[in-house]
Amino acid sequence: MFVRAGVRTPTHNNCDNRAACGVMTEVRTDPTIAERVAASTPEPLARRVRGLSDRAIAWAFIGPTVGLLLAINIFPLLWTVYLSFTNYRANRPNEEILWIGTRNYERVLTDPDIWAAMQATAHFVVWTIVLQTVLGFGLAWLIDRKFRGSAFWTTIILIPMMLSSAVVGNFWKFLYQPQIGLFNYVVSFFTGIDPSSFDMIGSVTLAPWAIVIVDTWMWTPYVMLICLAGLRSIPDYIYEAAEVDRASPWRQFWSITLPMALPFIMLAVLFRGIENFKMFDLVVQLTGGGPGSITELTSINLKREAFEKWRTGYSSALAVILFVAVFGLANIYVKALNRVKQR
Amino acid sequence: MATIELKQVAKKFGNNWAVKPMDLTIADGEFVCLLGPSGCGKTTTLRMISGLEAVTEGAILLDRRDVTWRHPSDRDIAFVFQFYALYPHMSVRENIAFPLQAEGEKKENIDKRVAEVVDLLRIGHLLKARPSKLSGGDQQRVALARALVRRPAAFLMDEPLGALDAELRETMRAEIKQLHLAQHATTVYVTHDQVEAMAMSDRIVVMSAAEVQQIGSPAQVYYDPANLFVARFIGSPGMNLLKGRIDGERVQVSGAGNTVPIPASYRSALATTGGDVVAGFRPEAAAISGNGGSMGGEIYAVDMHGSYKLLHVSVGEGEGASIVHIRSDRMAPYTIGSPVRFDIDPDMVRFFDPKSERALGRGIASPAARNDSKREVGQ
Ligand SMILES: Nc1ncnc2c1ncn2[C@@H]1O[C@H](COP(=O)(O)OP(=O)(O)OP(=O)(O)O)[C@@H](O)[C@H]1O
Ligand SMILES: [Mg+2]
Repeated sequence: MFVRAGVRTPTHNNCDNRAACGVMTEVRTDPTIAERVAASTPEPLARRVRGLSDRAIAWAFIGPTVGLLLAINIFPLLWTVYLSFTNYRANRPNEEILWIGTRNYERVLTDPDIWAAMQATAHFVVWTIVLQTVLGFGLAWLIDRKFRGSAFWTTIILIPMMLSSAVVGNFWKFLYQPQIGLFNYVVSFFTGIDPSSFDMIGSVTLAPWAIVIVDTWMWTPYVMLICLAGLRSIPDYIYEAAEVDRASPWRQFWSITLPMALPFIMLAVLFRGIENFKMFDLVVQLTGGGPGSITELTSINLKREAFEKWRTGYSSALAVILFVAVFGLANIYVKALNRVKQR
Repeated sequence: MATIELKQVAKKFGNNWAVKPMDLTIADGEFVCLLGPSGCGKTTTLRMISGLEAVTEGAILLDRRDVTWRHPSDRDIAFVFQFYALYPHMSVRENIAFPLQAEGEKKENIDKRVAEVVDLLRIGHLLKARPSKLSGGDQQRVALARALVRRPAAFLMDEPLGALDAELRETMRAEIKQLHLAQHATTVYVTHDQVEAMAMSDRIVVMSAAEVQQIGSPAQVYYDPANLFVARFIGSPGMNLLKGRIDGERVQVSGAGNTVPIPASYRSALATTGGDVVAGFRPEAAAISGNGGSMGGEIYAVDMHGSYKLLHVSVGEGEGASIVHIRSDRMAPYTIGSPVRFDIDPDMVRFFDPKSERALGRGIASPAARNDSKREVGQ
């Protein structure tokens, strides 16, 4: 492959025993990257490339990507940080921009609305993760029994995940209807409660659970898939070894199945945690943050502050705080995940 | 410790026999090898004994107790897998302790037993490591330790050395044999390596195409193969097998001038055949003899094996032509293409029926075969 650019130097030496020392020694110096690029480039272009150092070539390759990354990722991030220290409002571009120090941060952290939103988010994230992990792992464990028709059931279970969240939000609104909703009907069928006596979306106590239920319904299949991959990654002979080692099914589950699937479960938790921390569309569609602002998650709150109230500086400060929090948590989590995976 | 008894045990996968009905009785403390080419059903047999595979027919008795339909965990056996099957998420110590913990053993007993087997296998320095960080030999030792720690009634090992390189295999082979002698544990050992089987076992079960071909001591399967398959399969190279016709006290083989002697003990057995037989003898049964000799041919190839040379001699012409392997002195100056004549030790000749492929007159093995200790067998 690199022969064209490689240098072959035949050297003759006077040695009688051909087999023992060889008649010809080939010395191949590795070609530089520039030579390799030139070798596989049309001639006019190759002439320009040939003289460059390896370092220059390397920069030429990654330059565009780095440029793009800087322009659409790093720059906006830094710009947000800058804006968070100003009183800038995006709907009044002509006004003078004043540096106001950490005032935005003080305001964010002392704003009870923000804390309420944080609480709503924490409730939503924690409960969806708990329910989805338990249900997802349980379903995966059942599907992994490989009973007849398990493939069919896998497909059925995966359907909610394939829907658009706007659609899901919309039709769950109908399911939650006190008078005609299927959800209320099913609950009343099993408990005997009057279906029109409770309103999942309209009630202050039930609405936070309404969004947890819908998200769990939609994303448990996703957690199940990842857990299933984890369970399938445990080879049969490990169970056979445990069997001859006289481990009970109970012990096999706790000593083998769960620890060996743990990296996968943790990965699912990470994905779901990140997703649900920034949850927006499904909840907006379903409750619009209501009733009142009971289901107004931080991302919804942030969007209101930034693009309805146009408090750009203030919302930048909120965004920076959220970013630091999520980034820090995710980092700690990934470290733990790596430790588990390394075993 | 226990005896193992297989009564007409068989296994079918779909319509194919993986193991045809077989009988086998293994004495307490015996080391038995299941030997055969790939796909002959060795692993399946072992897995049926362990209970990891259900039998299609027959019964399995462990220590005279019928365990045919018992779970592996009810059978008190230890299984050493070909690729070790260590628990990857546990340390070496946790791996070894696992069978004891599963039995709900007390902690101080666990510590004591683990320390004992760890000592025995000299893996004390590895206890904290994860299995994936160990070399193949060390992983194998850990797998053995996990099997030993519980003092099971029997050990079942499925090609435990299959994944190791040649040098390590020999070391581990000696170690396993040593362990067996020390523990005196009933052991069934699967291998497709006949050298391993010869070196380690009290008895060998030779299998081929889902059927047991012969059960016997290493010396028996080597010197008195029950049929042509065993004669070819055991030894490297296998037995020289030449088609021939009985002619008085000798068998004419491979065209004019080549004869193999019929020992006196075989004469009555051979008298009942139609005259066609297959004569067989090991490479070391031939002695090169200047210009006399009852057989002769041309040297076709010479292999140097270190302590001896193996001559490939092309014997006979046309239809009866064949290659005969002869063992000779390592210093012997034979050159390719030169003629050579040799005699065959009558005590070492065996005969087979060409149609049924079975050995003729079995059980009248020569004193040489019976007295030979297995250490002198093979290379
Ligand atoms: N689970 C199974 N399903 C179907 N056929 C099987 C199964 N296990 C084994 N077999 C077949 O049964 C036969 C015997 O297999 P087995 O694994 O016992 O052979 P083996 O002697 O151990 O061979 P090897 O030396 O390659 O390990 C083979 O033909 C194999 O393909
Ligand atoms: Mg096998």
